[in-house]
Amino acid sequence: MSRPADSDPGPDAVPAQRRLALNEDWAATVVGLVLLALVLAGVWPGWLVP
Amino acid sequence: MTDQRTAQRNTTVWAIGGVAVVVAIGALVRFLEQTVPDAAEGSAFEGLAGAIEYPIYAIALGLLGNVVLTLLGVRERLAAGFRTEFFIKTGLVLLGASINFSVIVGAAGPAVLQALVLITVVFGFTWWLAGRLGVDDKLRALLASAVSICGVSAAIAAAGAVQAKKEQLAYTASLVIIFAIPSIFFLPAAVGWLGLPAPVAGAWIGGNIDTTAAVSAAGAIVGEEALQIATIVKTTQNALLGVVAVALTAYFALKVERSGSAARPGLREFWERFPKFVLGFLAASIIATIYGSVLGSAAAKPAIEIVNDFRTMFLILAFVSIGLEFRVAPLREAGWRPIAVFASATVVNLGVGLGLAVLLFSGVTV
Repeated sequence: MSRPADSDPGPDAVPAQRRLALNEDWAATVVGLVLLALVLAGVWPGWLVP
Repeated sequence: MTDQRTAQRNTTVWAIGGVAVVVAIGALVRFLEQTVPDAAEGSAFEGLAGAIEYPIYAIALGLLGNVVLTLLGVRERLAAGFRTEFFIKTGLVLLGASINFSVIVGAAGPAVLQALVLITVVFGFTWWLAGRLGVDDKLRALLASAVSICGVSAAIAAAGAVQAKKEQLAYTASLVIIFAIPSIFFLPAAVGWLGLPAPVAGAWIGGNIDTTAAVSAAGAIVGEEALQIATIVKTTQNALLGVVAVALTAYFALKVERSGSAARPGLREFWERFPKFVLGFLAASIIATIYGSVLGSAAAKPAIEIVNDFRTMFLILAFVSIGLEFRVAPLREAGWRPIAVFASATVVNLGVGLGLAVLLFSGVTV
């Protein structure tokens, strides 16, 4: 039933998006944990949170 | 070379402009959610103003911003700054700090069981139906992954695994958002009609809504307990993304493309595709649990409240980005078949997900 799979992966957009998603995973983990550490250490005061 | 550098600089400037737009709308959302309920007190709108949570303001203003920027002709260039995935994942890592690790441990068993059954049934159904309707194999893989696992992230992972075309990924991502936005409002309303307890509601929302940002939005509308369980369930599905991506890579390399020379994916491939923010979420929960047990929960509370404010801020930025990213054009180009597949899979997901949530989460406490 299905049409033949298209073997053209197209421009490098998908690999680039995949790399970006993986980098965002690490970036989110680092930013989240750094913010948590700053708050728990008392370095980041409550009034400075937007 | 100079032209290339100028073009790159322009792209970066537009991306920063995009982030600035998200932050500006996010600030307006924060202002509205903090001031409107007080301003409406004593008026005819008091009940309505109190019921509107920040995800609703954020998505509505994001969609409004989308229309304005499209009319001005700058939306496409600013789009690189609409980083829904980064904002939501940072928000979820911070959310981990407000969940005691024992809750995650307690919910992990039912969450893994629910995710395994739901992913198997919904992926299998979507793959089968898309095949019956003659949808291209790669688009089948993208649709089945997106609807059964975790929306856009799963579609990106699957697109990498099966070497899909850019348009197929853009199309699937648009479908995910188009189905996610109404479900943000429909599922919390259905939770009210059905009178579901918070853990069951959270499990249903977490197991059903495709995109992680929309799960958080719907969970936040229902309440804090539902948000916590919804996040644990969704994070479990996210963690299983690596397994499905590796299975798809193997299937397409060995069966569909029949390129026997392709290396069999191993542990390294699995690790590469594993969503790393899940580790951040678990680490935040462990750190905050230890912090709370050392200081005592009363002493730890003010710091956790600051972390929760940060979490809300990142979730607002993610929901604003959802509204700004929304696109209808790719849907018009692909025809009715993939839409019919996605809609049918969503209905199956809703039914099976509700049954599993009631079965597995009725006894879970937060």
